[in-house]
Amino acid sequence: MIREQVAVFREARPEPPLWWVRFEVSVPPAAGRFMLADLAGPVRIPLFAAAIDPTGFAIMAPPGHPATHLLPGARVAMLGPLGKGFRIENQQRLLVITEAGRLPPLLPLLTSTATTTLVVEAATRARLPSLHRIPPTVELHTITHDGSAGHTGTLEQLLDADSPVRESLRWADCACFSCEPARYPALARSVRRARMHPSADFAQALIEVTMPCGAGACEVCRIQTRSGERRACSDGPVFDLLELDTDG
Amino acid sequence: MIELAPKHKYGLPIQHPVMPAAGVFGFGNEYHDLIDETVLGAVVTNPVSLHARKAARGPRFMTHGDHFLVHTGLPNPGLKRVLKEHRATWARRSLPTIVHLIATTPPEVAQAAQLLSGIQGVAGLELGLDDGAEVEAACAFLEAAREGHHPILVRIPFGDIYPLAEALAECGADALTLTAPPRARLPLAPDTEHDTEGLLLAKGRLYGPALMPLLLHQLARWIPRLAVPVVACGGITTTDAARACLELGAAAVQIDAVMWKRPNLLTEIAKELSNE
Ligand code: FES
Repeated sequence: MIREQVAVFREARPEPPLWWVRFEVSVPPAAGRFMLADLAGPVRIPLFAAAIDPTGFAIMAPPGHPATHLLPGARVAMLGPLGKGFRIENQQRLLVITEAGRLPPLLPLLTSTATTTLVVEAATRARLPSLHRIPPTVELHTITHDGSAGHTGTLEQLLDADSPVRESLRWADCACFSCEPARYPALARSVRRARMHPSADFAQALIEVTMPCGAGACEVCRIQTRSGERRACSDGPVFDLLELDTDG
Repeated sequence: MIELAPKHKYGLPIQHPVMPAAGVFGFGNEYHDLIDETVLGAVVTNPVSLHARKAARGPRFMTHGDHFLVHTGLPNPGLKRVLKEHRATWARRSLPTIVHLIATTPPEVAQAAQLLSGIQGVAGLELGLDDGAEVEAACAFLEAAREGHHPILVRIPFGDIYPLAEALAECGADALTLTAPPRARLPLAPDTEHDTEGLLLAKGRLYGPALMPLLLHQLARWIPRLAVPVVACGGITTTDAARACLELGAAAVQIDAVMWKRPNLLTEIAKELSNE
């Protein structure tokens, strides 16, 4: 069901390099689901929650995002929550793997299970996210391409090598990814190599693509999966990572 | 009652002059939760072809001020699958469904039109021609679509009203949709990764408010010359704009991609017009 809601903009404050923007709304989106907000521009913009509470949600947006220009109390028409989010019910050990810039939509997952490991990849130390949104109970591994912090290399290299990152994948009940979509086929193969026969939905991946309608009507958001084309807005945007291994 | 196909033996009567344009409303009940369909005249489906089509590669969406380009490649699962998934919805609807057929090849269009004959709820076909179609080819597609029983609307490409509109009306189109969104291009950011040289352009169909004055210009020019009903389509975002199209002689209006931003606009315009 597509729900229409009016959200109330409450605050926007800088959290370099992003902005923290909070809305009040009766039904906020769960992790991986999204709202389509009528902000500036000719089509609605998908908003993924970086924090969720019973009265609303917050996003982390880049400077210049139209949500950062709202005035407190502004009412914003939203459609949603839309799409299929992360399916992590009853999981004990969660592994969250993300590129630094794509961490915000995964932040709500960090408080959802008993044991959580977070793997964040960035090109260099300066690109790593600030730690204050990461709960202290979360075990953190950082990867930088240039070796300026944490493990040196790329996610794929660390997942394929004898590394603590691969070890985390071995013991996890569920792994949630947020990366550039073009990387998912290779990451799916890394997961297969580490886990032999992973169950369906063991590894889940968020795909962020343009979603103008959110209703399954415009066909702009189609993505290729092993079982044919799917719509990110209604069949996803969280997919079984192994389904995204279209090269394999 | 508005008759969209007065010369057809079954006709295509609609109660209200407002409907969604092809490509913006899905195939079935995608907007069921948001829209009161009963105030609409008809529902036009997303483009469908006899065989499945995949989505286009490359950029599918780009904004440019208040306008945007969409290039989907008209992906669809093929007519048989669409029928399997949506014919029950079409049959249940209290208003006509107009199936938008992509003009792939005349034999495929003929086969698709035959498959659609007798499908409950389908009251007409809208034939979507590719840009630059020649008169002869366009008439061959129309002839093929007439292999089924339904009235045929032909959606004319933006740049081809001349010479297609009059020719298709003479060839037996029951109504014409003026027009498909124009094709346009926008510069892409340089591809630094692949070090490509030269200007890179994204292409697609253009949507946005600037199309409305262009539409009014074309309606004013062409409706007096055409002997078949015209359905106006392109950039209509207000009741005033819809009303202007009707006053220029359009039999009905189609609301295009503005629906994605304001799904209720379709019913708002329909209700306001029906209250007049
Ligand atoms: S956003 Fe329109 S079909 Fe997915």
